[in-house]
Amino acid sequence: MIERSAVVEIIHAAVKEVMDQAGLPPPTSLSDETVIVGPGAVLDSLAVVSLIVEVEQALEMKHDVTVTLASDKAMSAKNSPFRSVGVLADHVLETIKEGGVHG
Amino acid sequence: MWLVERLASFPAADPALIWSDRVLTYGELLERTRAWKLGELAAGTVVAIEGTFSPNTCSLLLALLERQAVIVPITPGQRMHRAEFEAIAEVERTYVFADDDTFTVENHARPVEHVLTRKLRQRGHAGLVIFSSGSSGAAKAVLHDFEALLEKFRTPRQKKTVLTFLLFDHIGGIDTLMNALSNGGTVVTTPSRDPEVVWSLVAKHRVHTLPTSPTFLNLVLLHEAWKRHDASSLQVIAYGTEPMPQTTLRRLAEVLPHVKCVQTYGLSELGVLRSRSRPDGSLFISFTHDGFETQIRDGVLWVRSPAAMLGYLNAPDLFDAEGWLNTQDAVEVEGEWLRVLGRVSDLINVGGQKVYPAEVEGVLMQLPNVADVAVYGEKNPLTGHFVAARVNLASPEPLDVFKKRLRAFCRDKLAAWKIPVRIELTDEQQFSARFKKTRVKPA
Repeated sequence: MIERSAVVEIIHAAVKEVMDQAGLPPPTSLSDETVIVGPGAVLDSLAVVSLIVEVEQALEMKHDVTVTLASDKAMSAKNSPFRSVGVLADHVLETIKEGGVHG
Repeated sequence: MWLVERLASFPAADPALIWSDRVLTYGELLERTRAWKLGELAAGTVVAIEGTFSPNTCSLLLALLERQAVIVPITPGQRMHRAEFEAIAEVERTYVFADDDTFTVENHARPVEHVLTRKLRQRGHAGLVIFSSGSSGAAKAVLHDFEALLEKFRTPRQKKTVLTFLLFDHIGGIDTLMNALSNGGTVVTTPSRDPEVVWSLVAKHRVHTLPTSPTFLNLVLLHEAWKRHDASSLQVIAYGTEPMPQTTLRRLAEVLPHVKCVQTYGLSELGVLRSRSRPDGSLFISFTHDGFETQIRDGVLWVRSPAAMLGYLNAPDLFDAEGWLNTQDAVEVEGEWLRVLGRVSDLINVGGQKVYPAEVEGVLMQLPNVADVAVYGEKNPLTGHFVAARVNLASPEPLDVFKKRLRAFCRDKLAAWKIPVRIELTDEQQFSARFKKTRVKPA
């Protein structure tokens, strides 16, 4: 099982990567409370898509786990699983538990 | 049949076909055409020919044309689909040719019931059935009035030595053959589509014209085949089966400055239309084909032409009530000039913004160390789709290093939504046996 800290690390790296791609200055600090989507978000919707793919690819490369984070179920959840770094980390762990494919 | 009569007017000793280093003269081609014992074969019979361009397949094609048969060319690469194709086209007889040009004949007892085939029989014209591999997978059977399709070759043009790069069952392959023969030219056949083999044949037989695809030309540039073989005879490279990346065109002009690159517009449903390229070296073309009209509706090209297909044998047709055919190609228009952006079905919709794979592929091909690339849309519930790219590298490079490089390169060349989100590296070739790009869409 992947540690939550490892997932958080992957998300932090992905946020930095995606902001760099978008030509944005690197975030001054990242925490579980950093907002990804919604008011005060650091990323636009296209960048969120990039972030999700980035996280999926990192999970695959570093931990040999294949997951689809942006499923229809995730999108229709009452509270967006992408709203902050901490919530996304929990969503990643939950998705892996529910049936991520170990390659 | 005017075409066969025309062949008889050419000097009998002139070379018509070069196959496995053997030369078949016009005299021999006509002799073989007349030697086919078709005595009992009724006009309008549906006949399949499985083979490649060879003395026997080409002479049989001509003999069947004279007999007003409905001809269904099939290549050995499609053998696994032959039974299915025979059923769709209601084939009554199949000639199967082996590599050494010997053949076997199979007769099939089946009634010909399709309304379009019957209509053609009533017209008393020969027919041609082309199986077109749609992006959706299932092949569509396109029925042509072969004589209407050949009408454009009545106007005599310069005789040329032409290499049949495009296949025997492809509308462009049939066009190449008929174009050369109707003008007394020479058809050079190739056993393979390897750049080295093709270029060696160009040098050996002093080929003038090479109809091919942008994907193959990229391979030629990559393999640098032109460095090892003398292509000074080459006058024209015609490409037309998919949008040409601007970079490929520029690079060709550098390495083969004596060659004119001509874009043609061909569709299984329409045949190959004559066009000319805008003199500025761009991808804009203008049609010069007689007897057909064009319209642009919502950015999509519609064409009306007497040479258009009669219809599909196994799919709803694409004609409107006035006889206009929807090409399903999206185009950009500037005055009399238009540029083909790509198939409407290849369009990627990223949150309402449109992207054609060809545009992104054209930019990525300029990136150093990229050998080939296929761009496609990947589904995603946030933006509908996003742009994804599968890349073949010329030499190994770590994915994260390449991704950074690609994104930095694209930043000032493509709008944000056009820059690939998912980037994958692959060692597999990304084009089909027809040298058309296969844009793999993951499930």
